[in-house]
Amino acid sequence: MPLIRLRGVAKHFVGDVRAVDSLDLEIPDGSFTTLLGPSGCGKTTTLRMIAGLEMPTDGEIHIGDTLAFSLERGRALPPSKRGLGLVFQSYALWPHLTVRQNIAFGLEVQHVGRVELATRVEEVASALQIDALLERFTSELSGGQQQRVAIARVLVMRPSVLLLDEPLSNLDATLRMDMRAELKRLHAETGATIIYVTHDQLEALTMSTHIALMREGVLQQFGPPLEIYAQPANRFAADFLGNPRINLLDGVVDDGAIVCSGLRVPLGPVSAARGEALTVGLRAEEVRLGTTATAMAAPGRVESVLPTGSDWYFRVRLAGERRPIVTVRDNDAATLREGDDVWVEAAPSPLKAFDREGRSVTATGGKAAPAAAPRTTVAEVAW
Amino acid sequence: MRTAVQRFRLTLTPQRVLAVMFLIVLAYLVLVPLFVMLQETFTVHPMERFQIPGSMPGDLTTAHWERTFFGPDSYAFFYRPLINTLIVAVGLSLLALVIGGSLAWLVVRTNLPFKGLISNTAIIPYVMPSWTLALAWIALFKNQRLGGQRGIFESLTGVATPDWFAYGLFPIIITLALHYFPFGFMLIGGAIRNIDAQLEESAELLGAGRMTILRRIVFPLVLPAIFSTFLLTFSRGLGTFGTPHFLGGPVREFVLSTSLYANLIGQRPGIGYLAAVVMIALGVLVLYMDHRIIGARRSFVTISGKGARAGAVDLGRWRLPLGIGVLVFLFSVIAVPIGALAIDTVMLRPGQYSLENFTLHYWIGDAADRIGLATGEYGILRNSQLMGALGNTLQLASVVALICGVLGVLIGYTVVRLRGTVIAKLLDQLSFLPYLMPSIALGSIFLALFAVSRGPIPSLYGTFWLLMIACVVSYLPYAVKAGIGAMMQIGPELEEAAIMAGASWWTRMRRIIFPVQKSSYFSGMLLPFISVTRELSLLILLVTPATQLAATITLRYTDRGWYPYTNGMVLLLIVIVISATMLSRRLMKTDLAKGLGG
Ligand SMILES: Nc1ncnc2c1ncn2[C@@H]1O[C@H](COP(=O)(O)OP(=O)(O)O)[C@@H](O)[C@H]1O
Ligand SMILES: [Mg+2]
Repeated sequence: MPLIRLRGVAKHFVGDVRAVDSLDLEIPDGSFTTLLGPSGCGKTTTLRMIAGLEMPTDGEIHIGDTLAFSLERGRALPPSKRGLGLVFQSYALWPHLTVRQNIAFGLEVQHVGRVELATRVEEVASALQIDALLERFTSELSGGQQQRVAIARVLVMRPSVLLLDEPLSNLDATLRMDMRAELKRLHAETGATIIYVTHDQLEALTMSTHIALMREGVLQQFGPPLEIYAQPANRFAADFLGNPRINLLDGVVDDGAIVCSGLRVPLGPVSAARGEALTVGLRAEEVRLGTTATAMAAPGRVESVLPTGSDWYFRVRLAGERRPIVTVRDNDAATLREGDDVWVEAAPSPLKAFDREGRSVTATGGKAAPAAAPRTTVAEVAW
Repeated sequence: MRTAVQRFRLTLTPQRVLAVMFLIVLAYLVLVPLFVMLQETFTVHPMERFQIPGSMPGDLTTAHWERTFFGPDSYAFFYRPLINTLIVAVGLSLLALVIGGSLAWLVVRTNLPFKGLISNTAIIPYVMPSWTLALAWIALFKNQRLGGQRGIFESLTGVATPDWFAYGLFPIIITLALHYFPFGFMLIGGAIRNIDAQLEESAELLGAGRMTILRRIVFPLVLPAIFSTFLLTFSRGLGTFGTPHFLGGPVREFVLSTSLYANLIGQRPGIGYLAAVVMIALGVLVLYMDHRIIGARRSFVTISGKGARAGAVDLGRWRLPLGIGVLVFLFSVIAVPIGALAIDTVMLRPGQYSLENFTLHYWIGDAADRIGLATGEYGILRNSQLMGALGNTLQLASVVALICGVLGVLIGYTVVRLRGTVIAKLLDQLSFLPYLMPSIALGSIFLALFAVSRGPIPSLYGTFWLLMIACVVSYLPYAVKAGIGAMMQIGPELEEAAIMAGASWWTRMRRIIFPVQKSSYFSGMLLPFISVTRELSLLILLVTPATQLAATITLRYTDRGWYPYTNGMVLLLIVIVISATMLSRRLMKTDLAKGLGG
């Protein structure tokens, strides 16, 4: 039921701040969809418009079969009627209430009976392992505990969609890892649709079933994480996802390959005009280091060796160039040391190449406006 | 067009509806009276008919303006009071700044002993009625000029105080400064506390001496607070009535407020209103200067915010003497005046300090006793008029505090929620406007507005309602300030979380917004409560025999020279305000400074 559709949604603040610009987005039922992008790109604003806390300046929002917002039709469903739960970045726990009172508040407001209220609070508290904290005030809790309370407060209302705004950003690194796993478990157990906001690409890659990548209020790409990782729709998407950052090398099309500083990157099935200037995106794991020359390889020198324990990373400077320096992950090259001369070879799968405007010439799926195709498949709503 | 209408309909939130309502009410209570008052300065009033030949009541006239500025007696009733007013306002502000500022620095930045005691008591002079010190001054230093009785000082030493010392501008400035210095103490103390110690330490590392640091680093950063304090004391000083009335009256030295009062209750209301207009103009001028000089600086002070706490300046061998000196000072501005007033109430004949002269007659005496100054007058505690007035005062103070508290919450809420919109700015400024109006001028505004019925609004003169409205408008700036400060602290998410849970606006206010910031809101209520309890300047023009208040009724007793009754009433008021302050600090963790903030 709760497939969330945004059509041409925009939010302009006074002073011509375009926080979100004509956003088309379909968030599938039961998905764990992440709104990803650098700080200030409009993620929180989008989330708040879905929740109903922020009024869009244009567009329509559907939640399941109901029209939640339409400027045209003068409709704005109140937040509490949308069947959503929102966990704020600051948690927004009420400091004058105990944990139990915080969790029970929504039920009280909805006039849920005393017995049912008590059992539901206990239930959700034990599910989130905060039953021992129920009588404490929220200021006496640690960051992780506060977060659980914030989630419990929302879950107790049994929302069909859970909205989370950077929920892990206030936690320390180890706790963050634990909570990631827990949120994934929560998603699996409740079957609720989760819309998750973060600026951390790793978080997005590891947790989501879908990512909506945003930049300056505009949707860049929508799709499953690995699809975006493998086939970024533009330079920005390629650059933003992945750690270490993707190597972007400028080159020119020669027969069957793009040549970048002597490195020949095979075109494969992609067709491109000879002499066309393209930028190639190479992930660290798509580059190999060898000690012997091949037809496609370019000579280079190891600038630094960066072992992480499980992986070997190298920074390699291509011969005769100040830049680029290529980041390589090659666990078969563990014997190389700083200053060694090597042959660099690229084996992209698939090839990621971008034109002068930064658009991908290789990606097959989901360039921006992913909602364009399936729009008609959704049953027309009852108005 | 259609979408514009839709957008308007969609944005019709409770805070917008509230904002518009408040705007309309405030405009009527603040802006309309200003115009009415201006109009009164151009109108012939019934009793002025004979002073302005050939005129009828209600006629338009420029006679008041001509007489005030160019008339043969304008020096006596306008220019001289104006000059006196400026001398008093500037003098008291400077003196209050010096006392409050030094005290603030000593308490916040040095290793002064008895800090806790000093911080707790330094506020008390402000809490007491401003004219307490004037009455105490009279009890201590009056000379034979007032007729018959000598002050405590003269009785003990036999030395007669000179007139300039006993009455007039000199004691007015001193006593008012001693009343208002806590402003400086709180505002400047807050500013010093906010200075990042690293700013001072880095200057010290560069080799700057202590005085250089004070002058070049601390002083400029505290300057905005200094100007705020000055603005506040200056405009309060302009409109204060009690002290100049008590201390200036005997030597017929007038300031604008007392001149306004004399004209307004006398035969020349037009000229009285004109004095009020001039006072308001002065208040606005000060704010404008404050804005021009300091507007830009204010921002960076708030930014510097919290830094490491500074190491306390070591006072060395001055530590103990200074600490004791400060305590003696506070003792002499709090305990000595109270003591002087108290002694006055238990001496049957003033100035004779012997045991057989001791009496409780003025407290519990019978009207039939035929002893003491006033025959036929019951002692204070048995006097139905005085006790009735005290009851009125408590009732008024409680109602006003409650209304101010609620309005402070609601207006603070609307202003913060609609931040950045024109409507929020208007509302903020409109509720701040009364802050600039000298109290007695504000009182005369309400007199002008409600003396007769206007349209659907009946004449409220002589009713409790009028006193209530005047007080609410007058103290609204403090309540709104507290309300805005509280709302700024909690941020919108706490309320939004409740919106998501489906709580109605009313539920949110009742169960989230108000409880979370309870102590701030109670602070916003405490100040109006205290102020109303001891208010004289604002209400002196508005009370009638049916609505007498504890503070205003004392005037009738002083005018007859029955000081023991006045002093006894003031003591009762002091007991009330000090216990209210202590009680609410204990129960609600209130902090008076929150309503004052610069
Ligand atoms: N209430 C507001 N008024 C004006 N500008 C705003 C407001 N809220 C957000 N913005 C602006 O909109 C843009 C997007 O903000 P936001 O959605 O919070 O970004 P994100 O959550 O992706 O970091 C930012 O440039 C921000 O400054
Ligand atoms: Mg955000």
